[in-house]
Amino acid sequence: MSANREIEARLRETAGKLLAEKKVGLFIGYEKASLPFRTTPLFLSRAEEAERLAWNPFCTANLSVYLPRLFQAPADARAAKAAPPPPTIGVALKGCDARSVVALLQERQVRRENLVLVGIACQGLVDRRKAEKALGTHEALGAGEDGRGNIRAVVEDGTEVTLRREEVLAEACLECRSPAPSLYDFLLGTPVEAKGAARRRKDGLESQPLEARWARFQEAVSGCIRCNACRQVCPMCYCKTCLFDQTRPRWIGAGTDISDVSIYHLVRALHLAGRCIGCGACERACPMGIDVRLLERKLSAEVEKLYGYRPGEAAEAVPVLSCFAMNDPQDFLTEP
Amino acid sequence: MNQKLISHANLDRLLARLRERWIVYAPARDKAGEVALREWPQEEPLTLEFKNFLRSPKALFLPQDQTLLEYQDGKWGEPAFEVRDTILFAVRPCDARALPVLDRVFLDGEQNDPYYARLREKTTVIALACTRTMSSCFCTSVGGGPGDAAGSDLLAVDLEAELLLKAQTGRGEELLGFAADTLAEATPGAIQAAEELIAGAEGQLAPVMTAESARRLRQDYDSPLWETAGRKCLGCGTCSFLCPTCHCFDINDELRDGAGRRVRTWDCCAFPQFTAHASGHNPRPSPKERWRQRIMHKFRYAVENFDVSFCVGCGRCIRYCPVSMDLRAALKELGV
Repeated sequence: MSANREIEARLRETAGKLLAEKKVGLFIGYEKASLPFRTTPLFLSRAEEAERLAWNPFCTANLSVYLPRLFQAPADARAAKAAPPPPTIGVALKGCDARSVVALLQERQVRRENLVLVGIACQGLVDRRKAEKALGTHEALGAGEDGRGNIRAVVEDGTEVTLRREEVLAEACLECRSPAPSLYDFLLGTPVEAKGAARRRKDGLESQPLEARWARFQEAVSGCIRCNACRQVCPMCYCKTCLFDQTRPRWIGAGTDISDVSIYHLVRALHLAGRCIGCGACERACPMGIDVRLLERKLSAEVEKLYGYRPGEAAEAVPVLSCFAMNDPQDFLTEP
Repeated sequence: MNQKLISHANLDRLLARLRERWIVYAPARDKAGEVALREWPQEEPLTLEFKNFLRSPKALFLPQDQTLLEYQDGKWGEPAFEVRDTILFAVRPCDARALPVLDRVFLDGEQNDPYYARLREKTTVIALACTRTMSSCFCTSVGGGPGDAAGSDLLAVDLEAELLLKAQTGRGEELLGFAADTLAEATPGAIQAAEELIAGAEGQLAPVMTAESARRLRQDYDSPLWETAGRKCLGCGTCSFLCPTCHCFDINDELRDGAGRRVRTWDCCAFPQFTAHASGHNPRPSPKERWRQRIMHKFRYAVENFDVSFCVGCGRCIRYCPVSMDLRAALKELGV
């Protein structure tokens, strides 16, 4: 049995048990989707349905995105008083997703005592866009893993096509430095060695003059259709009302004017500075294939260089932008 | 009905001929390597090797960011606007079918939308029949088909070495007449081959039941499915912004130093502020109500009001949903 098959079997068993023993009232995992190279989130409340759970390289969503809203009390005070007690939730988490939970714990958006974290030692995910591109005009009818971790797809005329794993792995996975969860109650699978440290995306931006960098950034985001997918799939974007959704005042226009699009992406990057755990859910969700983490990669590298801090690594750590130390570097401060 | 043939080798000549009188949009790869409808000619050659465009052609008629008025110091006027006769070459039948659907909204005869009308009435549509399908396609279930000519002035069918061009409207006839010197007479063999190819594509499509959708959905307003779907839906606008028939918009004034513009931008029923009242009340307070609206609008209200479903079965919402929601599964579960 392949490693992922084994994990899938244990995931079903674990979730089923948690639900049957009423350790959790809800279990969030993945199930098969209607199209190949994809899975869809599954909200389970009955142990008998645990067989629906799936684990494979297509489990791309970061499920921790659902957690803050499940703990959110109603805004209305009377409704909040009448609201049921916070739920107990089990959730399947890859290494990156678990880092999100850590960051959410640090920011007090989820309750640890109400969570059962089922960590999965992840071996990397398939970017469906890469897989579909590799198939060209062929249409996949089904897809799975072969014994060596490569992806096998059956296409419309019944033939099998093998896609080499490295060619279809998601960008964030190629760069992943901690594929196994650091925080968990159960750990499924054997952690594999992280290879991501060796690979950093070279965007060649930093060596360019300011004007060229600005032009590159604007070009990168110019295809944006303002669908908000990058924001909605992000576990760290949990604000009850996002500033882009405010109408009194309306801070930025809702359309695709380049100034509005630029502000959207700049603000998103800055709000995530020191908080982004690099799961890459945003870039996988973007329908337009925009490199939506272009700025975030730079900001993350800066935060790590300046403060030696990587978000999501330890729940006890104080988030870098929530604390102050006398010996924090200050040379970026300038006199007016 | 006039039918002509043109060899693949002659396609550039045909487009060049048409360009003498029309602006021509045709499929070519863009910078990201995606085949898109682009103004012809481009550096990248014309290609008919594509399943469908990522973006539907609706933005050509309903731009995502459209200035309606400009004003300064109490004076206002419409921005200068020139519309030239335009041909869209090789639009898929589902996207062509979406145009008469949009016409029902914007050209209802009593209150035509002038901004839409002036773009729409100058456009001639050449559809390219599908000889292969995707697993997300379901056009035949919503009244269309791989060889459906609704919304097209001319239907093209790609036979291996040549295209069969079938005029559907007076405009289509006119176009064939204008480019007659590049065209050959259709042969009975070509006409038959085209029919067989289209029938072959039809045979690949699995039916989704929508025939009685309006009547059935009337009983489903309180279905538990909305709760399930609303829990999973992340509330981004990918489905509706990529949808060829979604057309809801917002209008805002952007004012600075006494000068400004009135701008129309796409809006989306999945966004919380879409129904937010000035009082603060929101009649669709959660994703559950918003997701219900999307399905109800397409398959019930549209059918009740316009006698046509506002879905053309292109499958973009299924292919690009970040959490792989499939409205076909929802319709099935609702017993539509």
